[in-house]
Amino acid sequence: MKQVININFHGQVVPIEVSAFDLLKSYTDSLARFFADEEGKEEIINDIESRIAELFQERLKKGATCITDEDVNAIIKSMGRPEEFDGEEEKVSSALGGGEKTSSASSNTQTNTGNKRLYRDENNKVIGGVCSGVANYFGTDPIIIRIVFVLLAFAGAGLLAYFILWIAVPSTASQHIGSVRKKLFRDPDDKIIGGVCSGIGNYFGINSWIPRALFLIPFLSFVFHWSNWGFYDFPNFINFSFSPGAFFLYVIFWLVIPEASGTAEKLEMKGEKVDMNSIKNSVMEEMKGVQQRAEKFAKEAGGVATEKSKVMGSEVKAVAKKGSRSLGDVIVFLLKIFAYCIIGVVVITLVMALLGIAIFAIGIFPLKDFVLTEGWQNVYAWGTLIFFIAVPVVGIITWIIRRLAKMKSNSRILTVSFVSMWVLGWISFMLLITSVVKDFKSMNTANEQEVFLSNPGVNKLELTNSAGNVRNGYRYNIFRLEPFEGLDEDTAYVRNVEVIIKKALNDSFHVTMKKMANGRSKRFADTAANLIDYKVEQQDSLLVFDKGIAINKHDKFRNQRIVITVYVPVGKQIRVNRNVGWGNNVHISGPWNDGDWYDEDQGLDWRDNTDYIMKADGLYTLDGRPANENEDERERVKVGKDGIEINDDGNQIKIDSDGIKIKEKGEGTYRYNSKDIQTIDSLQQKTETEKKRAADSIKKSIEDSQKKLEQLNSKKQTALLQKSEPLTLSSYPMPLFIHL
Amino acid sequence: MNIENTASQMRKGVLEFCILSVIKQGEAYPSDIIDKMKAANLNIFEGTLYPLLTRLKNAEFLTYRWIESNSGPPRKYFSLTEKGAAFYAELETTWNELANAVKAITEQEQHSSNFNNP
Repeated sequence: MKQVININFHGQVVPIEVSAFDLLKSYTDSLARFFADEEGKEEIINDIESRIAELFQERLKKGATCITDEDVNAIIKSMGRPEEFDGEEEKVSSALGGGEKTSSASSNTQTNTGNKRLYRDENNKVIGGVCSGVANYFGTDPIIIRIVFVLLAFAGAGLLAYFILWIAVPSTASQHIGSVRKKLFRDPDDKIIGGVCSGIGNYFGINSWIPRALFLIPFLSFVFHWSNWGFYDFPNFINFSFSPGAFFLYVIFWLVIPEASGTAEKLEMKGEKVDMNSIKNSVMEEMKGVQQRAEKFAKEAGGVATEKSKVMGSEVKAVAKKGSRSLGDVIVFLLKIFAYCIIGVVVITLVMALLGIAIFAIGIFPLKDFVLTEGWQNVYAWGTLIFFIAVPVVGIITWIIRRLAKMKSNSRILTVSFVSMWVLGWISFMLLITSVVKDFKSMNTANEQEVFLSNPGVNKLELTNSAGNVRNGYRYNIFRLEPFEGLDEDTAYVRNVEVIIKKALNDSFHVTMKKMANGRSKRFADTAANLIDYKVEQQDSLLVFDKGIAINKHDKFRNQRIVITVYVPVGKQIRVNRNVGWGNNVHISGPWNDGDWYDEDQGLDWRDNTDYIMKADGLYTLDGRPANENEDERERVKVGKDGIEINDDGNQIKIDSDGIKIKEKGEGTYRYNSKDIQTIDSLQQKTETEKKRAADSIKKSIEDSQKKLEQLNSKKQTALLQKSEPLTLSSYPMPLFIHL
Repeated sequence: MNIENTASQMRKGVLEFCILSVIKQGEAYPSDIIDKMKAANLNIFEGTLYPLLTRLKNAEFLTYRWIESNSGPPRKYFSLTEKGAAFYAELETTWNELANAVKAITEQEQHSSNFNNP
C-alpha cells in the first residue's frame, strides 16, 4: 500500500507515489547540484524536467494510474545519472572552447572563487579540513590558521571551536556528485533515546557505542570505596554519581540535530556516495523490510521527537540544503546552541530546586503542628505545600508528558490555571513566613536557675543521657531537621541543649540551667521558657540529662533552648559520655583554658568518653594535654612551622627540631628509639663544637681589637709628632669608639 | 588507463559533431536526436544531451522554437543557425581529415601486425 500524491510538474498534474516523488526530488536535486556552476543551469534543468514530465504523461496515457518507483527509475535510467554524464559533458564543453568555464574546473577552484562561502577543504585537510577552509575563506595560508587553532587549543577553546566548525561547516565534497559527504543527523534506525549517539558515530565513522560510552561515563562513575569495604558498607562500594553536564549536552544535541528522515538524508548521514544508484539500492533494501519499518514508524509516532527539534531541524536542514551556510549562519547556529544551553540549564535547575523543596517540605511536614498555631498559619502552610510546591511540580510533569505525547499545546486554560495557582502558592508562602517570623519575634527574660545536686562533693562527675545507649538515641533519618530530634507521637524533642563546662570557685560541683525561648511578645516568650520541662539529675557520680526539650503540639516550638553550665572544682574530674553528644540532643561547648575563656560563639571541640581533670589554669586530660587541643580526626596530621604532629587515637608522633617523639596510647612517657637517641647525641656534639667555635672566635676578635688599638695608639703618637693636626673622630670611628 | 574510459572519451569527442549533423538534416526534437543516434548505435543519455544543446545554443550555433505537443508540455525544436552551419562545416573537415588519418594509421598497423604475425 502506497500513498499517492498529486504534483504539478511543469504544468502537468501528475499523480505520483510518495516514494517515487522522493526519488524524483533527489534526482532533480542532484541535477541542480551538478549543474550549479553551469551558465544555463535553469534552462538545462528545465529542459530535462519538461522531458521527464512528457515521459510521465506518456505513462499515464498508456493507462497507468500513477507514477511508480519503477517508472521514475526507468526514466532516470534513460536520462542518465549526473555522475554518469560527468566526464562526457566536461569533454564536450571544453571542445566548444568558447571561454566557458568547465564545471569541473570551477568546482575545483570553488573555494577560492568569488562566492565567499565557508567550506571545509577536503583536498587540503589534516584532520577535518577546517583550518584550510577558514584559510580559503580569508585568503590566507592554512598554516597560519592552523597555528592559531593549535594556540587556541592550549587555551581550551580551540578544540571546541574546531569540532563545532567541523560539524557545522559543509565540506567542499558536498559540491561534488558522487563524492563522499556526510552530514550530522540523528539516526532513527539505531537509537536508544534520541539517536544522537548513533548519529555522531555515523558522522565520525565510529561505532555508535563510543559516543554512547562517552556520554555515559560522566553519568555513572563507579567509585570504589576501598576504605569502606566492609560487610555493612557493601551497598556503598559502587557510588552512582550524576553529572548533569552530559545530560544537558545530550538534550541540546537532541534539539539541535535533525533526525535523518528519508533515504537521501540517511545516506548523507552515513557518508555514502550520493547518487541515484545508491539511493536506489537503499530503497530496494528498504522495500524488503517494509514490515519491519512499518513497526518502527508506529513506535516512532508515539515516540520522543519533540516539536521543538522539528522546528530546529527544519531550520538547520533548510540552511544545509541550500548549501549556502555562510559564516553568519554558522554564528547564528552557534548562538542558538548557546541560548538553548542557558535556557536548558535554567529550566532544569528550577525543576531540581522545586523537587528538592518538595521533598524537604514533605519531610518536615509532620513537624508542622509543633510550630504552627491552628487557624490561618495552618491554612497558609497547606496553601504553600499544595500551591507553591506541588503545583509547579505537577505542572512541569504535565508539560513534559504532553510534549512527549505530542499533544497540541492549546492548553491556555491549563497554563492560566497553573500560573494562578502558583501565584496563590506564593501568597500563602509569604503570609506563612511573615506570620511565623512574628511568632518568634521576642525573647524571654533570661533566668538562670541552680540545679540541685544531691552530692556536689563527688570527685568525678560523669555526664550521661537518660536515653541510654547512643545507638538507641540516634535517629537515622534523611529528613532530620535541626534542631528537631526524636519525634514521638505527640511530642517532639528539640536538641537545643548546650552544656558549658567552667571552673568552680569553691570545691564542690554545681550546675546551673538557663531556659530560653522566643514568642510573639515577651510575655509569650516567658511563658514558653517557663514551660520547658528539662531534668538534670545527679545519681552518684552520674549527671543524667533528659534526651531533649520536650515540645508538645499545644505549646509549640518557639526556639526553646537550654544552657547548662557545669562548674567543675579544681582537682576534680569530669567526663562526658558519648551518648550525651549530638546524637542525644545535647551540644557540649567548651572546655576552655585560662586565657581563652568561654566565648558564646566558639564551639571548642570536646572529646567524649574521655576523663578530664580541672586544674587551676583550665581543663586537662589525665595525661596532661590541654582539653581544647584539637584532636578531631580531620586534623590528625598537623603541619606547622614548629614541626609535624601526627595523632591517631591517643598515639602521637611529633617531629620537630628536637627530633622524633613517639607517644603510645596510655603511656605517659616519651619513648625514643635508638635513632632518636643518636640524633640527639649528634645534636649535642654539634652544639658543643659550635660553642667552642664561638668562644674561640670571640677570643680572637678581642685579641684583634687589642692589637688594632695598640697600632692606633702608636699611629696617634707618630701623627701627633709629625703633624700638629688633630685626629678627627671620623677617621677611625670604630676603634675609637671602642677605646672611648 | 582503462579501456572503457578511453572508449567513452573517443565517443564524446564526436558527440557534438553528430548532434549538429542530426540537426542539420532538419528541425529536431531532443528525443528524436537520441533516437537517431541510438539507431546508429551511438548511445547517449538525455541528461547529457540537454546541457550540450543548451551550450551550443548559447554559443549561437543552434536556435529553437516551441512547438505545442499533445503529450505533455510544449517541445523545443532545434535548428542550425548560419554560424552553426559554418561551425559544422569546419568540424566536418576536421573530422574527415582525422578519420582519414586514423584510418591510414590503423590500417598501416593492421598490415604490419599481419606482417609480423603471419
